Amino acid sequence: MLLRLAFRNLWRNSRRTLLTLSAMVVSSALLILALGVFSGMFADMLASVTEQYHGHLVISRPGYQDDRNMFAHFVADPTLIDELRSYPGVRGASPRLRAFGLLAHGDATRPAELLGIDPERETEVTSFAQQLIAGHYPERTEAAALIGSGLAKKLGVVPGDDLVFLTQAADGSLGNDLITVSGIFETGAGNRDNALVLVQLPWLQRLLVLPGKIHELALTIDEPMAAAEQAASLKAGLPADLETRTWGQLLPEMQEVIASYDVSRLILVTILYAATGLGILNTIFMSVLERSREFGILMALGMQPRQVRLLVLLETLILALISLILGVAAGIVMTLYMQRIGIDLSPYLSAVTYAGGTLAPRLSAALDGKNLLIPATALLLVALAAGYFPARRAARLKPVEALRED
Amino acid sequence: MPYAITIVVLFCLGLASCASALDMRELIRQVETQYRGSSAQARVSMEVATDNWRRTLEMESWSLGREHFLTRILEPPKEKGVATLKVRKEVWNYLPKVDRVIKIPPSMMGGAWMGSHITNDDLVKGSQVDEDYTFALLEETATSWRIECLPKPEAAVVWGKLVYEIEKTRKLPVRIDYYDEAQKPVREIIFDEVREIGGRTLPARMTVRPLDKPAERTVMRYHDIAFDLALGEDFFSLRTLKAR
Repeated sequence: MLLRLAFRNLWRNSRRTLLTLSAMVVSSALLILALGVFSGMFADMLASVTEQYHGHLVISRPGYQDDRNMFAHFVADPTLIDELRSYPGVRGASPRLRAFGLLAHGDATRPAELLGIDPERETEVTSFAQQLIAGHYPERTEAAALIGSGLAKKLGVVPGDDLVFLTQAADGSLGNDLITVSGIFETGAGNRDNALVLVQLPWLQRLLVLPGKIHELALTIDEPMAAAEQAASLKAGLPADLETRTWGQLLPEMQEVIASYDVSRLILVTILYAATGLGILNTIFMSVLERSREFGILMALGMQPRQVRLLVLLETLILALISLILGVAAGIVMTLYMQRIGIDLSPYLSAVTYAGGTLAPRLSAALDGKNLLIPATALLLVALAAGYFPARRAARLKPVEALRED
Repeated sequence: MPYAITIVVLFCLGLASCASALDMRELIRQVETQYRGSSAQARVSMEVATDNWRRTLEMESWSLGREHFLTRILEPPKEKGVATLKVRKEVWNYLPKVDRVIKIPPSMMGGAWMGSHITNDDLVKGSQVDEDYTFALLEETATSWRIECLPKPEAAVVWGKLVYEIEKTRKLPVRIDYYDEAQKPVREIIFDEVREIGGRTLPARMTVRPLDKPAERTVMRYHDIAFDLALGEDFFSLRTLKAR
């Protein structure tokens, strides 16, 4: 009975109801879109950071990621790699061997980091293959090197040129060999572009006299935000003398970006709903004030103050639920549209490097359950809170005085 | 009269301190160039032991004064022909396997030379200790001097302090302690097996130990040295470096 009454009350002044409704729908839809754009920027950045070098998870000997000790290597067991790659949630795994030494071409010599990779596997983890500015990505068995653009410039090399690499091998000997440049990559991150060279894993294993050995396995996973959980689930299948680090541990500055993202999300939600809440409060208060006489009659006819309060609260709840459904639906549609199409900002902005990640000059969005749940819950709570005061007022009316009003 | 005596005594003291300052500088210069003379050719073996590997290199080296130095590996076969040339402040390596010369960039001068505990910087700066440091006598015993060397403010050196222990009678080094900029000892070099080499009395063995890794060391052994050869500056060229 109360529900029917509440519905009837709402549609009696349909213009006012529709106005409130539209305010609520628009605010929640916009909030969902804004959060979606936020998430999209964040996802882009995370992808650019992890695809640039580390991947989402890195498996190595304990402490290797801290001191890069050449002797902290392990056997590149093909069954282990295959097992990891077929593990649920794991998208790809790339075995890598790392060496530091001198790279020379002609009269120029520079210190460099060489990463021995399997070109095919590496594409599952990093995006070097898409960041070439000259030459080509090496074939599976081709003895060729991909060199960072800054380093290539300093050494004066172009694809087809030979490089000499000199380092201390694992047996103490002077490892040195020639390798041909097949391509030049540019990630936008200076520390990589100025020092990194990708070479074939078997070539580097031979040079370092570390046959069949690697320093790390870099993985990409389906849920980068749940990297720690994924790492824990992998632990059982890994030898006890290996540790798994997450991108968050390898890139502490990205952790801070996440924390600041969570705070900004909270601030955004608070501001938008403070405004919306005031709108709802205003509408319902007005409708309660207008209906003083009516409430007086209801109470004179024997309605309990409790029921009056419930009636007004029901009205706001109905408003909130309707706008929630419409708002979330509109929000999802707008977010999906942004995700699909996006807005190109390149005429106004150039790429920004922040916390090791590169933000492309493109506004896109990502759909994230949290971004729907938070606005929806907040909308309900705000609506109920905004409805509470008018409801209390209505319940406290004295029937005699109320009837005399107007 | 007492004044005259005082003046004479003061003058003598002054002279003595001047003389000892000169002596110390000269002494250090002699120690640092003991294996070189005005020019020299030497057969040296270098044994390097680290936590992970141990190996011995046989080398032949030539030097002219303190600015020119060339060394070539004879053994083991894998590295035969690998050569290092130092001319003034620059160092090049020749790699016969790829037939290329690599110039060591300034940022890598602190790197290990041929995998040993001797750095490229030691090759370049070791020979000019007498120019880059000031000297003070720390201790004098019946048999030896201990001389403290502090870098001059303008000197571009990596050490915070050096302490030489020099045997008095033959003016030969016993040990050198290297301290970092925080005055913490980080490396020691010990000289022993004194015998006659190339007509001079010299310590035939030199042991370099990094103090942070007690199990590691580099031992240089001088087998033969021929001093005062007719070597010209043109010998120390990239062409000679590449000659096998």
